[in-house]
Amino acid sequence: MIEFTNVSKQYPTGQLALYNVNFAMQPGEMVFLTGHSGAGKSTLLKLIAMLERPSQGEIVVNGKAVNKLKNKHIPPFRRHIGMIFQNHHLLLDRSVFENVALPLKITGMHHRDIRRRVQAALDKVSLLNKQKENPMMLSVGEQQRVGIARAVVNKPTIILADEPTGNLDPELAQDIMYTFQQFNELGATVLIASHDQTLIESMNKRIIVLQKINP
Amino acid sequence: MTNVTKTNQRARQYSFFDAWWQHVRAAMAFSLKRLWFNPLSTWITLAAIAIALSLPAGLHLFLKNLQTLTDDKRQVPTVSLFLKQSVTAQQAEDRAALLSELNDIDKVVFVSKEDALKKFGEITGFGETLETLDDNPLPHVLVVTPNLTMTGEMDAQIRKLVRQLKNYPEVDSVQADIEWVQRLHAIILIAQRILYVVSALLLLTVLLVVGNTIRLDIENRKEEIDVTRFIGATRAYIRRPFIFGGLWYGLFGGIISLVIVHFALLFLLPPINRLSTLYGSHFTLSGLDFKMTFLILLISSLLGIVGAWLAVGQHLRKTEVVL
Repeated sequence: MIEFTNVSKQYPTGQLALYNVNFAMQPGEMVFLTGHSGAGKSTLLKLIAMLERPSQGEIVVNGKAVNKLKNKHIPPFRRHIGMIFQNHHLLLDRSVFENVALPLKITGMHHRDIRRRVQAALDKVSLLNKQKENPMMLSVGEQQRVGIARAVVNKPTIILADEPTGNLDPELAQDIMYTFQQFNELGATVLIASHDQTLIESMNKRIIVLQKINP
Repeated sequence: MTNVTKTNQRARQYSFFDAWWQHVRAAMAFSLKRLWFNPLSTWITLAAIAIALSLPAGLHLFLKNLQTLTDDKRQVPTVSLFLKQSVTAQQAEDRAALLSELNDIDKVVFVSKEDALKKFGEITGFGETLETLDDNPLPHVLVVTPNLTMTGEMDAQIRKLVRQLKNYPEVDSVQADIEWVQRLHAIILIAQRILYVVSALLLLTVLLVVGNTIRLDIENRKEEIDVTRFIGATRAYIRRPFIFGGLWYGLFGGIISLVIVHFALLFLLPPINRLSTLYGSHFTLSGLDFKMTFLILLISSLLGIVGAWLAVGQHLRKTEVVL
């Protein structure tokens, strides 16, 4: 599903974020990505979603060599990926419903279908009763769950999460991880970057450790 | 993976046009809503655009009116012969009869000093004052309409005629109406150039105002743009609401500028009518016609779109997603 071969990423500033990364994920697999801060976890996730391009090596996602993807093919490609960040990146000038509906609107879906899909997604993260509220009025945990609803509303094949529990207390964090596990059981390939060792060990999944590089 | 394949099938049910139309409708509504909910900045921008547009539109109108004024006169250029005070009405009429025999002259109208005084009294309303005068200060006048059917320089013909007429003993002075028309034409030519320069500068201003407003709007919505990009929005999708924003700014600014020009016209109309009555003319100001109205709205809308396009294009080129 996701395959990295000799992937390196050097930013224009000269900073070497990833060096010679090799790994593969099977379809439907759930994997944790860990390592010290600055080890390149975020960069690795961004490379998968084509938010960054690799300096070297080949990245295959869903059978496609994405490092060779032309610019105009990137937007449709991203619609197969749901991304979640430590900061929820919700839009505060509109309701929870509108936020979750955004990926569907981008595909040009009709209103009635959008309503059904958004409510289903919000139901999965137990926030159906908050759909009309502004994200600002929600707790941090709820905001993160709205972010997850937005990431999965398009039913993506791949879910990427970058420190999704970074701002949450342990109980809420556990909750979020179980939510991801549910989506994984429904068939999505899930890759979660986290430095919370105890939490990810409790989930009993494959763990990829990024070593800090000293070039 | 079953639910994934189902998604793809569902997505395909929407035709390309369907999706496109959904997007356009949403972008139109969204951009209008944004204008509506930022009334202060919207009105300031619209006012700047409207003022910038109303100046060239007003200038154009002014010139157009000047031109109709001169066009009227050019069809019947006349030469007025002011006769000496010593010339009697009978002598004047004889001269008129003789002149009308000439090849160069189409028609001669004799205006006696008494008629002239009466008319002058009527027009100015000085009738009573004039009655107190012992002598009529006005001379007899012959109004000569030259015969200009011959091809050639109208200008030169008239000048030759004027020289010729001056030589008659009864004639005190000759005035060709053509002169002020020519001067006016020269002035109009200059004014036209000024109009072009001013229009070019002010249209550029509109472009910059719209471009800058949209640029600020983009700055304010950076996060939104980044978010929509990482969930798979195309450039066209991101660009669309801003382009419509530019269109609304241009279109509404254009409409307001038309209103400004119209009210300026209404404001000017009474004194202009009074002035033209004083000159014994039926001239009145004409407003913007349908073609011109349409053209102004078209130009302003296009400027709005181009301004927005430049601003968004610059932003989209500059950045990939930064989160």
